[in-house]
Amino acid sequence: MTQTFDLWADSGYFMTPKGHNIYFWGFNDSADVSPQLPGPTLIFSETNEIIINLHNNLPENVSLLFPGQENVQYKKPDDTWESVQPQFSGIDLISLTNYAPPGATITYRFTATNPGTFLYESGTNPQKQVHMGLYGSIVVRPHDFNTVKTAYGQNTGTDFDREYLITVAEIDPVLHKSVEKGEPYNIKDYKPRYWVLNGRCAPDTMLKNGLSSLPSQPYSGMIMMEPGEKVLVRYIDAGIENHPLHLHANHTRLVGLDGRILRNGSTDLSYKRFTILMGSGQTYDMIFEWDGLGYTPGNPIPTLLPSIRNLGIGEPGWTMWSGSPYLGEKKDIPVGVVSYNEMGEYHFMLHSHEEPQITNWGEFPGGMMSMLMIHPPGTLSPDTGVIRR
Amino acid sequence: MNKEYRFAATDGYIKMPDGTDHYIFGFTNITGIPENEIYSHRGKATLMAPLLEAYENDDVYLTLTNIGLPDRPDLDDSHTVHWHGFPNQIALYDGVPEASASVPVGRDFGYYYKPLNPGTYMYHCHFEPVEHIQMGMVAPLIVRPELEKALGNDGKKFAYNDLATEFNREYFLFMTELDSRVHSQVLGVQMFEWTEYSPDYWLLNGRSYPGTVDTTVGSYPSQPYTGLIQANAGEKVLLRCINLGFQQHSIELLGIPLKIVGIDAQQPKGLNGEDLSTFKNIIYIGAGMTLDVIFTAQETGTYPLFNRSHNKNINPGSSPGGMVSEVKVYPTGTLPPQERPNQ
Repeated sequence: MTQTFDLWADSGYFMTPKGHNIYFWGFNDSADVSPQLPGPTLIFSETNEIIINLHNNLPENVSLLFPGQENVQYKKPDDTWESVQPQFSGIDLISLTNYAPPGATITYRFTATNPGTFLYESGTNPQKQVHMGLYGSIVVRPHDFNTVKTAYGQNTGTDFDREYLITVAEIDPVLHKSVEKGEPYNIKDYKPRYWVLNGRCAPDTMLKNGLSSLPSQPYSGMIMMEPGEKVLVRYIDAGIENHPLHLHANHTRLVGLDGRILRNGSTDLSYKRFTILMGSGQTYDMIFEWDGLGYTPGNPIPTLLPSIRNLGIGEPGWTMWSGSPYLGEKKDIPVGVVSYNEMGEYHFMLHSHEEPQITNWGEFPGGMMSMLMIHPPGTLSPDTGVIRR
Repeated sequence: MNKEYRFAATDGYIKMPDGTDHYIFGFTNITGIPENEIYSHRGKATLMAPLLEAYENDDVYLTLTNIGLPDRPDLDDSHTVHWHGFPNQIALYDGVPEASASVPVGRDFGYYYKPLNPGTYMYHCHFEPVEHIQMGMVAPLIVRPELEKALGNDGKKFAYNDLATEFNREYFLFMTELDSRVHSQVLGVQMFEWTEYSPDYWLLNGRSYPGTVDTTVGSYPSQPYTGLIQANAGEKVLLRCINLGFQQHSIELLGIPLKIVGIDAQQPKGLNGEDLSTFKNIIYIGAGMTLDVIFTAQETGTYPLFNRSHNKNINPGSSPGGMVSEVKVYPTGTLPPQERPNQ
């Protein structure tokens, strides 16, 4: 089978939580809309032939790299295929791969041989273009995905009930402003002031998918699940820096790294972590589970919960707490505090432990941070936690 | 077994080998202190904050009391305790103020933990964490394995429920950095712009070299732990490495191979029990990670321990400093048995 995708590289604006618009370059899968950050998630099926047409609406050459994919080819003007090659002008390396000049289209082809999580990103002036936003995520489904939902195929210990993609990067607003004004920028001066998770800075990461108020940032950063479920969390570091992502509530079991299952023949090499130190460009597939500790109003917690008068609740003016120790129970919170708790679900933080990265230009809360929500049993739709384009 | 702790959140000062003092927020241990004496502990925060330790299956009751910041009386910040890495936690005991409750000045809050997995963890305040962690509300946390009890209290010590993790002595390598501008600006009631974070001191167990090897009693009253590692030849030494800074660190111990027996309070084991432990020369650790490392002390002598990122082995204007310490190996029988970590 062949799957064909069209991507347009174009310029647009994304928004910070304070409402600042930042110029960026990105991909979208329609010629008529501005680009998005990250680019559209591409979902392939293992063994399929993949054809990607890249249409370049930017003022300089743009290309696509597919790290982790082998035998990538491009289509020559005579409609024959040839392996991609780095491009030189004289002795100067001008692109890591074949590119589309401004206004032109280039077509790439490869076979999705490995299930897993991958990046796609520009290979031309990557020190500028990738960090302007020309990157996106790839999920390759195992061939037997319609039989049982797994990351790497049946009997690989990677079964899951829901899955989420978390793609992180940094933003240096000076880079974006320089490109917008056509001024030079030297990457040695790279100095991030914002950190994005699925293209958004916290607290916008905690809003829903596809909001009209965030037209260029369609992907939520929330992870939602019920107790006892297996959740596949796919991390991608699309930035320049390494990032230690810490998920509260439980360890995760790392089952895949760079789109390869952590298994050596019959030897399982997966491992549990509470912090994943992500290297630049790397991808991580993890299975997360949470069962709780069994506390209910009938099996109460062994401490006395002080009156809400004697607690700090909602210092930023809002809270995600239900007011109760128990899953599925809502109690009073102080008047004047906005509650984002729907039905007594638990919220746990997911964030970079390099804590200046959970600010927006120095202001906490912000940046590379989101929440894991654990909903009472039976309250989440099966449509929640499905990765779509 | 019940294990009860009461920690107070307050402020204090630490000092660096160059003689400078730095304002901190932190915790201090007030377990068993009569109620009417609690406020005499204001201003007595330590770096590291008090060790929290328990056995697997203990019932741990931790009361956090916020006794305020005497040198920032205008600042009425709440505090929390976040047990970093506690498995299957519930929101109420996770200590994230946006997702449960924090403890205002003058109030108490009771946390409860029944740890089921031995290993090295950490705890820290999660209220405005970028500020409260940098200001010093950070500490190590140990869960000891039941294997030690099962063997009949013969004094053998283990990192995990695995005979291969036996050790004779244990030491923290607790890594943080200090940007002195943050500390002076917080004391001076000014805002710090966190994306400008650029530390000028790098600390092991709250001290910078040569403070890390200063064993003089009372020389660092608010920094009770040295970074000095001592053992008799032939003994097994467990290093509990914890990174609660905001940078990645690469700690090198010259001349002694290091066996990684735990990462993030998990033995390196595959799904089917495969032994994935490895030897390393460098402890490479990201912020928010822990590593358990065992080595066997062999030839007597002094072995340097330092950050392979050499720019972190300085104090402002002088080197060596920062994340430098020593492992001293003595002839068999020189040191008495160790009674507590870092002794």
